[in-house]
Amino acid sequence: MSVVVAPMLIALGTAILTLGIRFAPRVQRAVSVLGAVCYAGAVAVLGLRVVPDTVLAYQLSGWQAPYGITLVADSLSVFMLGIAAIVSLAAIVFSTRFINEIGQSVSYHPLFHFMLVGISGSFLTGDIFNLFVWFEVMLMPSYVLVVFTGGSEQTDAALKYTALNLIGSAVMLLAIGGLYSTTGTLNMADISMRLANAGSEGAAIGDPTPVLGLAALLLAVFALKAGIVPFQFWVPSAYKAAPAPATAMLAGVTKKVGVYAIIRLYFTVFAAGTLPQAIALPGFSGTGFLGFFGPILFVLATASILVGGVAAVSRPDLDGVFAYSSIGQVGFIILPLAVAATVSDPAIRALGIVAALVYSLNHALAKSLLFMLSGSLHEGLGSVKLADLGGLSRAQPLTSGSFFVGALALVGIPPLTGFFGKLLVFDTAGRAMAAGATEAWLALAVALVGAILTIAYMSRAWNRGFWGEPSELIANVRLSPVLLGVVVVLAVLIVALGVGFEPVYTTAEAGADAALDRSGYIDAVLGGEA
Amino acid sequence: MTTDHDTTVIARTVARVVFPIIVVTAIALLLQGHNLPGGGFIAGTLTAAAVGLVYVIYGLDHLEQELLGRPPSVPFTDEAGITREYGSLVTTGLALAAGGGAVAILFGDAFLTQAVWFFEHVPVYGEFEVASALAFDLGVYAVVVGALLTILAVVGAE
Amino acid sequence: MTQFVLAVVLGLLFALGTFLVLRKDLVRVVWGLTIMSQTANVYLVTMGGLTGGVPIISGHGGQGTEVTDPLVQALVLTAIVIGFGTTAFALGLSYRVYQTNETIDLTEVRG
Repeated sequence: MSVVVAPMLIALGTAILTLGIRFAPRVQRAVSVLGAVCYAGAVAVLGLRVVPDTVLAYQLSGWQAPYGITLVADSLSVFMLGIAAIVSLAAIVFSTRFINEIGQSVSYHPLFHFMLVGISGSFLTGDIFNLFVWFEVMLMPSYVLVVFTGGSEQTDAALKYTALNLIGSAVMLLAIGGLYSTTGTLNMADISMRLANAGSEGAAIGDPTPVLGLAALLLAVFALKAGIVPFQFWVPSAYKAAPAPATAMLAGVTKKVGVYAIIRLYFTVFAAGTLPQAIALPGFSGTGFLGFFGPILFVLATASILVGGVAAVSRPDLDGVFAYSSIGQVGFIILPLAVAATVSDPAIRALGIVAALVYSLNHALAKSLLFMLSGSLHEGLGSVKLADLGGLSRAQPLTSGSFFVGALALVGIPPLTGFFGKLLVFDTAGRAMAAGATEAWLALAVALVGAILTIAYMSRAWNRGFWGEPSELIANVRLSPVLLGVVVVLAVLIVALGVGFEPVYTTAEAGADAALDRSGYIDAVLGGEA
Repeated sequence: MTTDHDTTVIARTVARVVFPIIVVTAIALLLQGHNLPGGGFIAGTLTAAAVGLVYVIYGLDHLEQELLGRPPSVPFTDEAGITREYGSLVTTGLALAAGGGAVAILFGDAFLTQAVWFFEHVPVYGEFEVASALAFDLGVYAVVVGALLTILAVVGAE
Repeated sequence: MTQFVLAVVLGLLFALGTFLVLRKDLVRVVWGLTIMSQTANVYLVTMGGLTGGVPIISGHGGQGTEVTDPLVQALVLTAIVIGFGTTAFALGLSYRVYQTNETIDLTEVRG
């Protein structure tokens, strides 16, 4: 059973070990990379045990749920852990060459692995307060990573990032306190069960209406973590300030923790709730909790896609384009979730979650590729301003090829993973429309505009930065082979996962089924077997 | 940073008296933390407060110069300085806390599972119990003391 | 009655925290954040219900007195530790801002 806790323990062990041997830099780097490899291995083993339809519950320190803290591994968690494993392995290899010697020996590796501990904990926990704790464990190292290179720009960005997240933490505490007081439990499975029984004879919850409001409060926190408009202020400056591999983690994985929390809590836990009386609001009528969040998620997603896309078109440098693009891309992840929350057909709902998961994977891979590529260009050239680049496609065919793959993956060209992500998003909206949810044409329209914006900013970055006559500087630039190697490997991975898409789809489908299989989740956690 | 020329005799004398009291209280809190109010974090902050008092009254370098008998170090510039020792304290504490939890896995229990042993007829003390949670608490204690004193040393040096 | 007074006090504290966060003096902003997170902690304690009992069954077996829900207290302890760490970091960060910009006026820092 320890396989559930293994990824977390490996990351924790690596963090402590790299802290202990920080005065032997070579050993430390080796241990750090080895730790990331072991982490990926542990996730793979966990995946083999869990996918497609097993739910493993692990009662920490042997206290039975709902009294103790439970870790739950199902296909959804494992899919997310897989994303974390791939991106962190790539980022840590990249870091060994990218971060300067002093930085690495001071604290970089321990911080990185502590962040990974927090990320794994967030994906695995089955307790809502524990989720708060893991969020903080993940955030604290990320604050330090944002300020890592220590310039005034970094301090500024970290301040914004820290302040917003401190408010987010306070709000999350409020919501959790309220949930405890109204439901009498913090265990997610238990909350879900009590919500389902609410109002009946002898139930723990008499009137579930307050839970709806508290869930809405929590949504703001998760939206902040995922960097969705209107909580996106911290994204561009923090992504620009953090060292490239840390940005890759922030954009590729930390954001997905917010997405995961939305899927897990709203589709698995709060979906169990129904209002005692039907209410009618614009875009929502009925009693289901989940349906209430559909229009909200839709507005957030639309705003993210538009704000992110429009801002990305006019950025003067690669980092800026990528940072704003990641706001827009998270919108693309939330959009199918909004549709899934609105419709009641379980098949379309599952399809929406599959779309969100596949898109998350694609965004994690493509964005970490692009950020690390921008990082290696920054190291080689000292600038990633589009005006200073120009002509890279002739001077650096391999770099440009990788950028091309990453850009096309975001745009969604077959056979890359991005194509399937986009296809599934459109498919979800289309099927919802066919099934009678006429409002889904809005989602289709937004997705279409978003796709056009993506093409616009990516082709602009390509035209300005990679085409044209190479300048003297560009023609003679030497990029570090290790850095370039990581980027190229990620590009190859995007192509490979796109060509061999079948297993990715089956895993994502298993993840979506796990997210919607409420009774399976509750049975596994509260069933009593440790 | 304050040096010993700036503080009064009263402050210096009081600090000498208060320091051991704080530390003993901290240790008492640490040991009783298993089933009474107390524990690693509180004990750690108290201990750090005690050392912080010494820093304030006697100056940052006093600890190294007078007590450890070596020239004062500048944080983060030389490798063998006091911050490195605090750093090792944090590392040891983390390893102790995590390792203490992981031992349970070796016995086939869940991570962080704790045990408790009772010793009866111990001379002087009578009945005596040792909880394995003490290892975790000790770890937390070391982390808190190490981290807080690092902050004090680094911020104090600026 | 206690509930009502506490609710008012919590509201006032949150208002104070929000007011401070909106100032342009960086140190006040950090204080505002601290007040907000501490208020959230107080709120958490009240969520466990106020019975006036102690949160702990002291000694082995307990004396059968009325016990306050200990879970919220454990949550608050955790939240305090976390808040402690982040506040320390935020204060360090504001010192850094002061060092690099020689001002803690946020309108000048961002400019």
